[in-house]
Amino acid sequence: MDEVFKALADASRRALLDRLHARNGQTLNELCDGLDMTRQAVTKHLGILEAANLVTTLRHGREKLHYINPVPIHQIGERWIKKFERGKLAALSELKRQLEKRDE
Amino acid sequence: MSKRNEIDVKNFKPAIVYTIYIAAAPEKVWEALTQAEFSRKYFSGQAVEVDLRVGGAFVMRTPDGALHISGEVIECEPLKKLTVTFNVNWPALLEKLGPTLVTYEIEPAGDVVKLTMLQSHDREISDDILSGGRTGWPAILSSLKTLLETGQALTIQMQPPERMLAALKELGIGTP
Repeated sequence: MDEVFKALADASRRALLDRLHARNGQTLNELCDGLDMTRQAVTKHLGILEAANLVTTLRHGREKLHYINPVPIHQIGERWIKKFERGKLAALSELKRQLEKRDE
Repeated sequence: MSKRNEIDVKNFKPAIVYTIYIAAAPEKVWEALTQAEFSRKYFSGQAVEVDLRVGGAFVMRTPDGALHISGEVIECEPLKKLTVTFNVNWPALLEKLGPTLVTYEIEPAGDVVKLTMLQSHDREISDDILSGGRTGWPAILSSLKTLLETGQALTIQMQPPERMLAALKELGIGTP
């Protein structure tokens, strides 16, 4: 579990997860495209995400594809959030979303 | 590796790939994936029935015995890999979305095993429709892990996501 929190405690790595969330199953080249990070940095961050089991890689033909793996985050949710009334949290998130939308 | 003629796994691309580490022997994970007495506890009460040979039937039944998932075994390497067609029995779903493949891979990783679940399709499937698998599989896999590690499965209340039901309806696919 420590690895998950450490992996998430970095904005670049969260950005990589966001990119995979937007489009799952990307190659390293696709992930690097348009990012302000060197290829080496992206590779290093992906290694940390994979070690924390937040990213899974698999070979598809000649390509190595990266997939977001939300299972550890789900487990964090089950352990710490669900106990504390997810319904109310969902209502608060929705309220925040609505209020912020009005500011746009 | 033997494969069915009708389904060529090479034509399928994984849309969802989830991995979980479980402190259990590969044999126990394999049993839990292939036997109804386990699946009823972690898979929303559903009973798996699988004839473990290529071309063998794979089904999942709801607690009232109704057929929810039907398919067949495409790849079977006991204790290592199981690929099945995994088609939800909703009217017109198979015609509109094509077949769904589900693969389980079990790899020893030190004292634990790494279980990877892949959901693959032979065409692009919208995020709305994939939201069903994205919501369901993490809960199912977490529950399976807890069952094998503690003997007690997690009870996770699950409802099909509204956006998935709406997308299916739009495609003319019947939902319960």
